[in-house]
Amino acid sequence: MIEVNDLTKVFRKPIRGNGLSGMVKTLFSRKYDEVRAVDGISFSVPDGEIVGYIGANGAGKSTTIKMMCGILTPTSGTVLIDGVEPYRKRRQVAQHIGVVFGQKTQLWWDIPLIESFKVLKEIYQVSDADYRERMDFLGEVLDITRFLSQPVRTLSLGERMRADLAASMLHNPRILFLDEPTIGMDVLVKEKIRLAIRALNKTYGTSVVLTTHDMTDIENLCSRIILLEKGSILYDGPLKSLKTRFGNIKTLTLTVPADIHAETAPVLSPEVAVSEEDGRLLLRFDADKIALEQVVQYAFRDLRAMDMKIAEISIGDVVKTILEQQEAEHAEKV
Amino acid sequence: MRYVHLYFTCIKRSMISRLEYKKDTIVALFSFFFSNLCSLAAIYFILQAIPALSGYSLPEVGFFYGFSMLPISLDHLFSDEFWLVAYRRVKDGDMDMHFLRPVPVMFQVFAETFQPEGFGELILGVALITVCALNLTVNVTFGAIVVLCVGAVFGAIIITSLKVAMSALAFIFKRSGPLLQVIYNFSSYAKYPLAIYPGLIRALLIFVLPFGLFISLPVDTLLYGKYNPWLLSLAIIGCAAVFFALATWIWTICERRYESTGS
Ligand SMILES: Nc1ncnc2c1ncn2[C@@H]1O[C@H](COP(=O)(O)OP(=O)(O)OP(=O)(O)O)[C@@H](O)[C@H]1O
Ligand SMILES: [Mg+2]
Repeated sequence: MIEVNDLTKVFRKPIRGNGLSGMVKTLFSRKYDEVRAVDGISFSVPDGEIVGYIGANGAGKSTTIKMMCGILTPTSGTVLIDGVEPYRKRRQVAQHIGVVFGQKTQLWWDIPLIESFKVLKEIYQVSDADYRERMDFLGEVLDITRFLSQPVRTLSLGERMRADLAASMLHNPRILFLDEPTIGMDVLVKEKIRLAIRALNKTYGTSVVLTTHDMTDIENLCSRIILLEKGSILYDGPLKSLKTRFGNIKTLTLTVPADIHAETAPVLSPEVAVSEEDGRLLLRFDADKIALEQVVQYAFRDLRAMDMKIAEISIGDVVKTILEQQEAEHAEKV
Repeated sequence: MRYVHLYFTCIKRSMISRLEYKKDTIVALFSFFFSNLCSLAAIYFILQAIPALSGYSLPEVGFFYGFSMLPISLDHLFSDEFWLVAYRRVKDGDMDMHFLRPVPVMFQVFAETFQPEGFGELILGVALITVCALNLTVNVTFGAIVVLCVGAVFGAIIITSLKVAMSALAFIFKRSGPLLQVIYNFSSYAKYPLAIYPGLIRALLIFVLPFGLFISLPVDTLLYGKYNPWLLSLAIIGCAAVFFALATWIWTICERRYESTGS
């Protein structure tokens, strides 16, 4: 169980001047720029849930994760991991959480992977029996057995990420924090990683907090998402309701005869937005306001469609729309 | 007990890292012998180079010099990683991994590297004081031996404590390497008999940065019977305990200020 309460992190950076004289001035000035990386957020994650933690670059996702796993001390507010504050009782909490930062490895660079695992086994006091069981499980779901004897520096990015994931799961953590675990992976490795996360969640009931910029990860893994923007939570709830936040939006992609164009096509209703893309016609509408059946009929009869694809709005589109709206509001205020 | 076991596990890890780059054992063995041979040759040159100072004979000065190498090399064996912390690792946000593990961060930094090079310096120091002692007529007492051992071992603890405290400041200032360097360089003053310095520096080297306390005073005790070896041993041990406690405290305070990096 993770409880986050009014959590805030402010980074203070000295205001730097340019050039040498600016730098000298910096030395003597006491002026600071404040970056409110995380600004009073609250949420909680029950055991066994997989939460997608998403937002634009610089939204404060990594900063939140670092506070939740005890690397950073919050400026104010609290984090409780099973009732314990990780930055105060760091060691106690560390025993029960696993953390992966996609951009940074936590494995030792120049020793064979298996040696890293052996050291971690001692650090986390994993018993021999547990260790064997875990290695079997991880070897299977993450497919790491093949390169166990290679030094980490010789592993490819995808192999290294799988190794890092395995290392974070070695001590059977109750909570897993994954900060962009699929960054830079090819589709197959991404799929492998998703399967592993799901298997872990199912087998051991591990809760997972996952940040990613890949919405496929989110749609595949998370039942709930938290959307962060400029350090504040914009949305926290089920994936489904976020999707229908702008209504039950559907898009029909039509292949139509060459003489049909978006501007000149007959109009069905103002509810249906018609546009053109790569010689195809796109119809966007809210299926709660106008029946799908009606639009399909219109497509075949009035637009003489020869082929048709129906798609729900993707979560990526929703997030994009929300962030764009947010930015527009911001621009108005300024 | 757990930590002793863990320490050896980590040290083994650090050794494997080294061997990765020195796979060829014969080359490794050869370089070990060669570097120690060089050390012995160095003794000769050091003895040549050290100028006789205000009334001190060459072997006397050599003895001071050689003895100063013992605590310094012991410290070198165990705490080399702190240099990296002070210069680079905090600034680069490279400490994250240590904060994620259920073991004190400071312990992990100690366990990160073991510097076998320290042995070379240790051997060199012992050889140097042996050679010099043979050329001196000293009345070796049991107490003097004890105070020398105490000076070497607990002196190393004092140096290490200074290192820990100074590198901990990196958590606040991002980089504290130069500061650590300045403090550490004071140890080179203590390579010579304290008597050659003016009173102020002498006081500084005994009471503030106590390199003199554990290097010069024990040697003075052996060579000239200047101090009571038991009281001096007690003072050094007490000083080491205070320094280590303070260093640990400073580290713990500063550690919470760690900010990692943005990416
Ligand atoms: N160690 C730090 N020192 C100073 N500022 C920082 C630090 N870490 C993060 N920041 C600032 O805090 C803000 C949030 O950063 P954070 O790394 O949490 O973003 P993020 O949501 O993880 O972004 P991304 O998707 O790019 O990884 C950024 O504006 C960044 O400049
Ligand atoms: Mg990030």
